[in-house]
Amino acid sequence: MSLEISKRFDEEKSLWDIQLVGDVDIQSSSHLKEEINGMLNQVETDLTIDCANLSYIDSTGLGVLIGVLKRVKLVEKEITIVNAQNNIKKLLNITGLDKIFKIK
Amino acid sequence: MLDQVSISLPCKSEYVSITRLSSSVIANQMGFDIEAIEDIKVAVGEACNNAIIHSHCEATFDITFQVMDQAFVCEVRDGGNGFNLNEYQEPNLSDPQGNGLGIFIMKSLMDEVIVDTLPGKGTKITLKKFLE
Repeated sequence: MSLEISKRFDEEKSLWDIQLVGDVDIQSSSHLKEEINGMLNQVETDLTIDCANLSYIDSTGLGVLIGVLKRVKLVEKEITIVNAQNNIKKLLNITGLDKIFKIK
Repeated sequence: MLDQVSISLPCKSEYVSITRLSSSVIANQMGFDIEAIEDIKVAVGEACNNAIIHSHCEATFDITFQVMDQAFVCEVRDGGNGFNLNEYQEPNLSDPQGNGLGIFIMKSLMDEVIVDTLPGKGTKITLKKFLE
């Protein structure tokens, strides 16, 4: 399954609202990296990533999220991951990423 | 061993999903539960990622699934560069860098992981998960 990325800038909250649908894997992770960095080049602010319809993520996708987090931390912003399915939560947990991302 | 399924795929990222799907179908037929199937799928994907990203295989890589009496076994072999396993460092979970996550994830999700690699000699990763 491929990856679909929906993005919207929430003017009221001043954050990027991203929805991921499908798989973030070795094939799609570079696309995700380009999209998010493109958004941050427009407005460098907080990101909320809705993972309700994200069915799979691998180490390349987690690597992208870590890289983006390092970028936004430099300007004291953060990434919030919401609605992650149990398989995604498990990966975040075993890699310790649940400690550095906000998880809701 | 009851059955064996072998696949040879081009060393291109777009083919890795085939191995994930194949592993989940085989694990499901063996009677693994949903969580274990997901673990297997992720670990197999990481082993294939390793062949393409870290071992830089050039033509094809080979995947063999073995249906054992009480275990699922997957071998991923590539003829790529291989790497020096002694230089591998487990990720620092208090300051993750994105590197080294693949092997760490495989080891976390599977019951046995054997990485057989040498610079210039390619890599074979063997993953095993037991039926409970």
